[in-house]
Formats: sequence, C-alpha cells, structure tokens
Amino acid sequence: MSTAMSAAGLTPQEAALGADRAGFPMPAGRHAAVAATANHIHSVVAVLRELDFGDTPPAAAYRAGEEKTDAAV
Amino acid sequence: MQPYELSLVRAADAIRARTLSPVELVDSVLDRVEKVDPQLEAYVTVTAERARRAAREAEQDVAAGRPRGPLHGIPMALKDLIDVAGEATTASSRVRADHRAESDSTVAARLAAAGAVLVGKTHTHEFAYGLTTPQTANAWNRDRVAGGSSGGSAVAVAAGAATFALGTDTGGSIRVPSALNGVVGFKPTYGLVPRHGVTSLSWSLDHVGPITRTVEDAALVLAALAGHDPRDPASVAASGPVYRPGGATELTGLRIGVPRTYYFDHVAPEVAAAVRRATAELQSLGARLVEVEIPMTGYIQATQWGLMVPEATAYHERTLRTVPELYQADVRVLLEAGALMPAGDYLRAQRSRTLMRQAWGRLLEEVDVIAAPTVPATAVKAGDETITWPDGTVEGVSDAYVRLSAPANITGVPSLSVPVGHDTAGLPIGMQLLGRPFGEPVLLRVGHAYEQTRPARRPAAV
Repeated sequence: MSTAMSAAGLTPQEAALGADRAGFPMPAGRHAAVAATANHIHSVVAVLRELDFGDTPPAAAYRAGEEKTDAAV
Repeated sequence: MQPYELSLVRAADAIRARTLSPVELVDSVLDRVEKVDPQLEAYVTVTAERARRAAREAEQDVAAGRPRGPLHGIPMALKDLIDVAGEATTASSRVRADHRAESDSTVAARLAAAGAVLVGKTHTHEFAYGLTTPQTANAWNRDRVAGGSSGGSAVAVAAGAATFALGTDTGGSIRVPSALNGVVGFKPTYGLVPRHGVTSLSWSLDHVGPITRTVEDAALVLAALAGHDPRDPASVAASGPVYRPGGATELTGLRIGVPRTYYFDHVAPEVAAAVRRATAELQSLGARLVEVEIPMTGYIQATQWGLMVPEATAYHERTLRTVPELYQADVRVLLEAGALMPAGDYLRAQRSRTLMRQAWGRLLEEVDVIAAPTVPATAVKAGDETITWPDGTVEGVSDAYVRLSAPANITGVPSLSVPVGHDTAGLPIGMQLLGRPFGEPVLLRVGHAYEQTRPARRPAAV
C-alpha cells in the first residue's frame, strides 16, 4: 500500500488549478475543503494500483450473467 | 386490521374478491399519510387528488370485470428520482426547484399500466448521493436515521403510508433503508429493470427495485417492472421467469453460503446474531450451509468509489458549473472533488470490477445463495457521523452502511434484504440474500420460505 499512497496530497492551490483544468472553476473559499475531500477519495481508490490487471479489460458497459469464470484473478 | 396495514398480496386478494375496493384502500393509505407524515416526512409530494381519481377508475374497472392483475388499485410511492409525467422530479434538491417531468419513466409507465395508484413522491438523500436521508425520520424511532438514499420510500412502506414503493440502489440505497426500517428491499440484477426516466447517480452502478412489506409482495412488483427497454443501454431481455414464490417452504438441496470473511467483520453483535439465527432457520428448512470466502475484499470500497465518484460528477457537470450553491454541502463537495479524479483511477476501478465479477461468478458456482447482514449496524441517531467498533476502529456512518451492499452493485448480482428481527433498542435488522445474475426466483423462494417461519409483520406504530 505504501507505494500506492506515496503521492503527496493536493494542496488547496493545486486543487483549484485541477478544478480549473477540469472545467469547474471554484471560488477561493472552496479550495481547502475540496482538496481535503479529493485527498480522502484518492487515499481510498489508490489501493487499486496494487492489483495486477494483466490483460483484463475495463468492465464499462457490460451484461450481467455473461461471466467468464475461467479467467485468473 | 385497517386496509393500510394489508400487504400487497392480501390487499390484491381482497380487491379481487371484492371485499375491499381500491377507493377504500387508497383512502385508508391517504388518511395514514396525513396522520404520520408530519412526523416522518417521508413524502416530498402527496398526489392525493390524482390518487383518488385513479382509485375510482380502478374500482370501476374491477366492478366491470376488467381487473388488470395484482397491482390494480394498489397505492404506491415512488422515490423522487423517478419521472412521472406532469409531476416534478425534485431529487430532494433545490437544483430541481422548477422541474417538471414531460413523460413517464419506464417503471412509472409499467406500474400505471398494471393499475397501481401513485400516492406520492418520496424523499431521497439529495440526488441519491448519501446514506441517511436527513429530511426523513426512521419509522420505528424518530430520533434515528431513515437510512438512504431511498429513505422516504422505505419509511412510507414501513409506516403504512404506502402499500409498496420503488427505490434506487447504487451502493445499497434500496437495501439499507429497507433493513433499517424493517421492510423488504430488492435490488435486482443489473439491467433487469430499465432505468429510463430515472435520475442517475452512477450509470454503471444504478438499479431500480421494489420496497415492500413481504417477499411475495416484492415478487409481484418485480414482475411488473422487469423487461427490456432499449432506452436504457444496460437493459437486458429477461426470459420472463415466474417470480412469485410457490407455497412450499422446502429448501432441501439448496446450498447457502455463509461468508467467513468481510460480511461479519465490524458488525454489531446483535445484527450478526440475528442473521445467524435466520440462516439456522434456513438450515432447518433443508438448506445446506456452506462457509465461503468473499474475494477481493480489500478492493471493494476502492472500486465502488472509483466508479461512482467520477460518474456522479459527470452527470452533474452542467449544474455544478452553473448553480453549485444550490447543492447541499455534503453533496457539493463530493461532486467538486470528483472532478479531480484522474481517468486512470476510473479505468482501474473498471478493470477491478471485471476481476471482481469473475471471482464472484466462481463463488456463485460453489453455492446457490449467499446470506449475510444487509448493514453492519441498526439505525444510528440522527446527526451521528461515525460508528466506533469494539476494537476501537472508527468508521463513517455512510461507509459502514455502504460496506456490505457495494459488492452487489459492483458485480450486478441480485440482493434481497429481508427483516430478521429487532435489536434490544427495538430497531429492525436486515439480512441480505445474494444470488447469481438473474437468479431472482431463487432469492424470492428463500426469502419467502424464511418469512413463512415468522409471524406476519405489521406496520411500524409511529
């Protein structure tokens, strides 16, 4: 987990810049709260970097019931 | 017994036998709404006039020998994310203050065609992005949370203020409030019930399903909802199985998986004990209990968040840009932070979902059904933000309520939450039954068999 979590958290200024680039410019009063929430979300999803996906495709749109149960995890 | 206390099945039987008219039933439920809703606030809008008109039409149809089936004349509530032509779909949000739906959602149209009578639209945690529904009180104790996000629907059914309701479920939002209010909640297989005309939280995780007082009731509602609609890209053609369980409670030969891992970790002792008593009951009906290992448990929350957070932000992109101040604080900050998630994280979540679906597919070859707690704790006090477990671990209430629900959203497998008793504070406990994709009939059979071993449930006293 340590490698997955090594990226430093966003500062409020970096969050503001990122939001701007994503097309959601935020008033200054929002930067700290959004940075904190984004950092928490990052800490949760970063563990997915531990997985070895091999050739696994993203699920995206899929049809339930058509599983390939022979694939290795 | 008053008509509002009847289960859907009993009300339908009485209407068919003409010992109860739809007008009497709808009036009884509307009176109940008037009595209890000022305390519970389950409803955003009550469509009393529309309901009385529909009830009179249903009464005339039944009297003229034109019954449309078991939902004909039955009063229902729809979560206020579900479009009904001519009504607002507020999503319990100021963002939707001037909304008016132009046409029916697929599910509203199907229920109307089946003769169900709309009593009103029920509260959701704003845009379904939360697990408590703060506007609404728990039906069993007004100081406790309703659960969410379909809190209004579950509370209405639990209190007798609707005979059945629909909810939506992206990370437990049908099953969590159903468990916390002592009613049945059914999240069907992904794609079985079309979502056209239903406000999305996260396209790849959203489901629509029934909230009812009995498992048999849920089967009847599901039968009216299921079926292909090309306007929902995830919609699949169901083969039209019979959902309504038969009378037999025999479960001989059925393998019921009891998780060794995950589903009983950080679970309140009274919740775990109630679920274990219920699984023992299933064993006494002939089922074989098999210990199972839940796969990839360390990645469930990450996958759920990696899918839901960016999809929710994408859905709200326009209004987040133009009227961000109209969102509640808790929802706004999640939507804003979602804009900062890299595409790589989203793709990893999608690839993790592929692995998880494969692993669950193998797990569900070992057993026919998995039985587990729906939520790890009963309804917390309104305003409580964390739960402290006996080992000192502190968990956010929303994280705790989503934790045991999310696997079925990620993998798309059906999950049926059934009440299995109350804790010493009198708060309801739920058990979820998970099955194979499109294995709804098996879950309904097991849930119904279990219910036959228990006394009939009554609405909450309020």
